[in-house]
Amino acid sequence: MKLKLNGKDMASGIFLIVVALAGLYLNMDHSLGTARRMGPGYMPMLVFWIQAGLGLIVCLVALASGPDPLERWTGLDVGTLVGGILAGVIAWKISPSIWSFFGQTYNGVGLGILVGFTVMAFSAGWKILAIICASVCIFGLLLEQAGFFAALTGLIIASCLAEHTHTKRGVVGLTIFLLVLCYWVFIYELDIRVNLWPQV
Amino acid sequence: MELLISNLLHGFGVAISFQNLSFALLGALIGTAIGVLPGIGPVATISLLLPITFGLPATTAIIMLAGIYYGAQYGGSTTAILLNLPGEVSSVVTTLEGYKMARNGRAGAALATAALGSFFAGTVATILVAASGPMLTQVALSFGPADYFSLMLLGLIIACVLAQGSIVKAVGMVVLGVALGLVGTDVQTGQQRFTFGIPELSDGIGFVPIAMGMFGIAEIILNLERPESRSVLSTKVGQLWLTKEEFKRATPSVLRGTVVGSFLGILPGGGASLAAFGSYMMERKVSRGKHLFGQGAIEGVAGPEAANNAAAQTSFIPLLTLGIPSNAVMALMVGALIIQGIQPGPRMVEAQPDLFWGLIASMWLGNLMLLVINLPMIGMWVKLLQVPYRFLYPSILVFCCIGVYSLNNNVFDVYMTVLFTVFGYVCNKLKMEPAPLLIGFVLGPMMEEHLRRAMLLSRGDWSVFIQRPISATMLGIAAFALILMALPTIRKGKEKAMAE
Amino acid sequence: MVQTWRRRAILGGSLALPVLARAQGAAPAWPSQPIRLVVPFAPGGTTDLVARLVATPLQEKLGQPIIVENRPGAGATVGSLLVAQAPPDGHTLVLSNIASHAISPTLYGNIRYDPLRDFSHIALLTLNPSVFVANPRTGIANLADLARLHRQRGLDMASSGSGSSNHLLIVKMGGLLGREINHIPFRGAGPAMTAVIGGQVPLMSDSLPSAAAHIRQGSVTAVAMSSAERHPSFPNVPTFREQGYDVVASSWFGLSGPANLPRPIVDRLAREVGTILDSDSTRMRFAEIGGSPGRFSPEEYAAFVASEVALWGPLVRETGARPD
Repeated sequence: MKLKLNGKDMASGIFLIVVALAGLYLNMDHSLGTARRMGPGYMPMLVFWIQAGLGLIVCLVALASGPDPLERWTGLDVGTLVGGILAGVIAWKISPSIWSFFGQTYNGVGLGILVGFTVMAFSAGWKILAIICASVCIFGLLLEQAGFFAALTGLIIASCLAEHTHTKRGVVGLTIFLLVLCYWVFIYELDIRVNLWPQV
Repeated sequence: MELLISNLLHGFGVAISFQNLSFALLGALIGTAIGVLPGIGPVATISLLLPITFGLPATTAIIMLAGIYYGAQYGGSTTAILLNLPGEVSSVVTTLEGYKMARNGRAGAALATAALGSFFAGTVATILVAASGPMLTQVALSFGPADYFSLMLLGLIIACVLAQGSIVKAVGMVVLGVALGLVGTDVQTGQQRFTFGIPELSDGIGFVPIAMGMFGIAEIILNLERPESRSVLSTKVGQLWLTKEEFKRATPSVLRGTVVGSFLGILPGGGASLAAFGSYMMERKVSRGKHLFGQGAIEGVAGPEAANNAAAQTSFIPLLTLGIPSNAVMALMVGALIIQGIQPGPRMVEAQPDLFWGLIASMWLGNLMLLVINLPMIGMWVKLLQVPYRFLYPSILVFCCIGVYSLNNNVFDVYMTVLFTVFGYVCNKLKMEPAPLLIGFVLGPMMEEHLRRAMLLSRGDWSVFIQRPISATMLGIAAFALILMALPTIRKGKEKAMAE
Repeated sequence: MVQTWRRRAILGGSLALPVLARAQGAAPAWPSQPIRLVVPFAPGGTTDLVARLVATPLQEKLGQPIIVENRPGAGATVGSLLVAQAPPDGHTLVLSNIASHAISPTLYGNIRYDPLRDFSHIALLTLNPSVFVANPRTGIANLADLARLHRQRGLDMASSGSGSSNHLLIVKMGGLLGREINHIPFRGAGPAMTAVIGGQVPLMSDSLPSAAAHIRQGSVTAVAMSSAERHPSFPNVPTFREQGYDVVASSWFGLSGPANLPRPIVDRLAREVGTILDSDSTRMRFAEIGGSPGRFSPEEYAAFVASEVALWGPLVRETGARPD
């Protein structure tokens, strides 16, 4: 009998197992307690063991339920993924020493994710995922310092790069429309607390 | 019976005054608006509007706040159906069949079903609240921690039915959701678990970043990657109203959903969040259209929407009869009442008949108004789908981002959303379904809480779960459901083995 | 419409005023912009309620809107940290309370603020005693009943959550009785009260504001009150001391700002809050929820917070050693 490997299920099973093992490792910090007086680690222990067991079953089932292979990865996909993660971590770690802004709250993390996705955007396989995620990061980075309008403009323009049928005029029109709409809905009507303009 | 009618008439007399009527309408409108906007929920809105209610009479204030609450339930289903954006737990289920219906060009029918089903369920549940609120309270009070635990376990097991594919993977996703729910401060010891020292995680991962990331934004990326699939979304609009056939199929589902929702809504320990997918599970097993599930079955919209709205109404019972809020929105209402100088409690029916019966009458009137507002708007909503997708998706992104940020006024949630977008994307590629995960995430923490409390009370004796009749019944149903689900898989496996 | 009008006023204020303030030069009059009052708990709870009860009259007196901002999390420390790190210009204040400033700093260990050094304490707003309540069917009417039953079979007692002052009272009472009480923590006072009324748990230690209505209606029996003397609204409920147990404790709520708040701002706020607390309407509202308005000068309040830290710290360490 030839094995009909289900690649997607196999990957899912491995994913479940890896997360469960990581969880069990982290859970070593928490006391288990007794069944009567369960400690903070009791439920996680149960949950992660069950999860690991399920992951194993998924893997076993995957051996015969295929074939359903994973999508093919090009060399560029792998390269930009590794490069993106590296660049992101470096940006996250180094940026606070360049500008103190990145040392505040989660700005450094945001920059790291943004840099990582920017690198990934160069491969066709990641392009759309990377651009959309990067545009959300731009929003996060700009919002508190550069204000509501700048953050929205950044988000809209960056996200439009993900779709090749956009025209310049369309993007400008869309940006203006959304800025006015969001001002009306979120600031005028709902009065959310956020800076509108860049902070000096 | 006569007393009930005279009380209800008294209530309508209160609710129909110009001021109360206009504030019920205002509340319903605000509620619908915030329900449509992702991230901004009724809790945030009500706390924002609370100061305004100081100047209003107590009855008017509470009528308006209640309007916001159920208006948000209506609005939430709109974005779930049109854009695959579940703003609240209950609308996760609506995305499953509702969004599929929209992609089949039946967005109008899905929205109409949601509105009509909700209205019907709301009417029945309102009568139930009025007629037997105090009696139903006794049911709620008889649920102990062990019973809640078993109910949650049953909920988790039936959550696997939400999945279209492999059952084992679905169970895996439920458990993964429970695991995500573990992040945060342990309720009983105050110890931080899996927070990596990040203060924002001390209250757990937010529901909205997960839902927005895994459903809303991941869906945008997938749509952009498959240009062919979204052209369907924008070109096919189809007939707006329900066909006769659809109406016939939806009616029994609405009835069943109303029953399920009315019952679960009474339970303050998280029963209401079970309502929608409890009904989904039921429809998937018993309705005539069960073979259509996963491709946009109208039963899968009608049942859960009815259940959800019925539960929203009956969840007022603990508040009205015991003075105990069953969720965060209710807690805010208690706050509003106390500021008004009214102590909610068992005597509220006698002490504040205007308030009690006025609120009940206005619930129904509010539902009626919502129906009147929403039905004509369906055409407008469906038109939204005809906006070219290249303009639609940046707009969805913008609304998601602002909504997520405004949850806590913290960019941390924005980055969490990015994380869950990537996770949702990967899950989709691996055919791992996000709906069971979200249910596990919501029910998991409650389950742990009830489990530990039950064990504390039983002093470590596990047999409490089978000694209590309610708990034992729940566990029995759970075991039965598990066997029922496993059977087809096992049979299929056997057939396969035989064929080879 | 009322609220659109009001919101517009807030918005107009927030847009126009920073410019005006800058134009006036070095010493802008305070308050020059809307004031954020951070409530470190979710909306709807007692803390939130106290904040809103005080914020409404206070904004009229100060002539600037006060925006109540709920920043819950980590035993009220997330919102408090935010204020500790805010600029001390009087435009960011916090509703300091027993959790954020007396219990959580010890309970959580790794808190990045000092409840005394990082804040300018302005005024105590209200004090609420705790109360032990019992399901009427248990027949527990006083502490003697409770002690007898506890010696016989060991009792369960609910609270609104681990690390709350109510929980710590249970621990203290267990210590006084010589046998540990089986503490059943809930997520908030509401669910715990439901369990007591439903008979799932016989007893509960609760703050008076959330228990008041249920005591009045007789759905639970008040066993003992943690105030020094009998509470004026509940003259029939005996105190712990009367029944021979030396337990006096209150949960409290106050107004604080970041450290080094200019003296004139502190004085102005303390003065305005004082008049609000003296007004009949505030007294009435606080009495309804079972609290009594606090009357402390800023120095007295700061000293009070210090004494509370000293009081609760050891108790927390005692319980924190063995989590339950």
